[in-house]
Amino acid sequence: MTAARALGRWAGGDRVAAASVAVLLLLGGGSALVPMISPHPYDAQRLEETFQGPSRAHWLGTDHLGRDVLTRLAYGGRISFLISGTAVLAHTLIGLVTGLAAGGIGGRTDAVLMRLTDVFLAFPPLLFLILVTGLLGPRIPYIVLALSLVGWAGMARQLRAEALGLRARDFVVAARALGATSSRILGRHVLANVVTLAAVRASLDVGPVILSESTLSFLGIGVQPPLPSWGLMIADGFAHLRTHPRLTLYPSAVLSVAILVLTFVGESLAEALDPRTRPR
Amino acid sequence: MTPAARVSWGTVLRYLARRLAATVPLVLGTTLVVFVVGRWAPGDPVQVLLGDIGDPVTEARARAKLGLDRPIVEQYLRFLGRLLHGDLGVSYAYPGMPVRRLVGEALGPSLLLGGLAVAAAVVLGVPLGLLAALSPRSALDRLVRALTLTGIAIPFFVVAVGLVLVFSLRLRWLPVSGWGTPIHLVLPVIVLALRPLAYVARITRLALRSVLQEDYVRTARAKGLGPAAVNLRHALRNAAVTIATTAGLTLSLALTGAFVTETIFGVPGMGRATVTAILQRDYPAIQAIVLLYTGLFLALNLLTDLGYALLDPRIRYTT
Repeated sequence: MTAARALGRWAGGDRVAAASVAVLLLLGGGSALVPMISPHPYDAQRLEETFQGPSRAHWLGTDHLGRDVLTRLAYGGRISFLISGTAVLAHTLIGLVTGLAAGGIGGRTDAVLMRLTDVFLAFPPLLFLILVTGLLGPRIPYIVLALSLVGWAGMARQLRAEALGLRARDFVVAARALGATSSRILGRHVLANVVTLAAVRASLDVGPVILSESTLSFLGIGVQPPLPSWGLMIADGFAHLRTHPRLTLYPSAVLSVAILVLTFVGESLAEALDPRTRPR
Repeated sequence: MTPAARVSWGTVLRYLARRLAATVPLVLGTTLVVFVVGRWAPGDPVQVLLGDIGDPVTEARARAKLGLDRPIVEQYLRFLGRLLHGDLGVSYAYPGMPVRRLVGEALGPSLLLGGLAVAAAVVLGVPLGLLAALSPRSALDRLVRALTLTGIAIPFFVVAVGLVLVFSLRLRWLPVSGWGTPIHLVLPVIVLALRPLAYVARITRLALRSVLQEDYVRTARAKGLGPAAVNLRHALRNAAVTIATTAGLTLSLALTGAFVTETIFGVPGMGRATVTAILQRDYPAIQAIVLLYTGLFLALNLLTDLGYALLDPRIRYTT
């Protein structure tokens, strides 16, 4: 309930965030509805219609294979949002379980799990992504796997710290004094408070994960053709940068705007939902 | 006052030894991760090496020569044994080429680009952050904020593509890609410097804003010192710790930026070597690259912590 109230206050107060949400809804809506509203399939090649400029039939023109650019941008968003959403969900869940187990159980479990996070945090994130997708093969499940494996360790560590802090708080000590079992304390008191923080972090993680996905696709070890992805479209357009710069500029602009608004929304949500900064 | 004199060197050495000891299992862990992923992955280095000729005798001989016919545990232990002697092995993809030389040759260009990028970030970022901090909410302050936000949010390759379009293709001032002359350094350094610049400017502004509110700055002002003396001698000096450590950490940003930047600009550095080694299943090279990157990252983190502790007398080691 307090979270709902905070959300309401958030929607009313922050104009930059409200505008960002509007842009995000536009991008998300377009990506979700494109199969229904676009007359063009994303992979229909028309080699007699390559490199066309904007027209009534193709609002943003066609690419080097005669495919409709706007349709591919929308499908690219669909794929980016799906991959990143799944990856963030997965690494949030893994981080939540390991963080709670480490912080809530403590002792040897904590030590083992934290050494494991140390190993994953020692890799530069992009190196790890390239390593996993490069070696396993650039298929979408592996891309999601790689992105989740990069994100969970940081999440686990922060949630563990939060759980440790909560265990010392008065209301948890009081519950224990009243005879609550440790699994009840963990499930009811610690979990409820840690979940908010996990949600805050997850909303901040979406932008960077989309960036990582598009970087992999740009390098050729992410989403594979004929599926579109913003990173892949930028890489494809790069070959025709001299003659048809718009093929690179459109996906670049959409990708940058998406990451920017996701950052605004994430930071603003974090401020509104974080119990430590929430006005009382 | 010299804060460094307050810390005894014995404490520093003991702290260093403890931290270094803690990194050993970490580095072993990363090599194990690479090993496990490598064995689980499809693709066979012998096939990449020989092509798809499919002569079983030649293949078996090559496999035996690389030690790939042994049990996996033995392969890993052999790798560790060689590593203890400082031997990183021989490349699968380029027979006879020691991995140490392969990686050593690639490291030069990457370190040059990364170092120049961080230097540029500090030279531009500190004055920008300083000016923004001295006049909060001015037009300049807003400009710096917008710049840092763009630097953090816009992908490397989008910036690179934009720069190539304007400076190489339209204005024709700079080459699109290549390596060997100073002019080839310009675009990659700009691309790599952008994000470090954003962080350095942002941290300088933040650190100065907080230092400027400290009592000793007020005292200096009250004593009648001019604004230049207060801002530079007292404030900037004390914010220097934070700025220096941030700059150190951004070197790791500049080095991971290499994957994309070197691919776009055709730089024969670590980023390109990594992608090539992975696509060729050159496991000795991959292991060496991962060791080098994680080693560099751990070392940078350690130096940062050490820098904090040495420069800021309020931080004490726990030994």
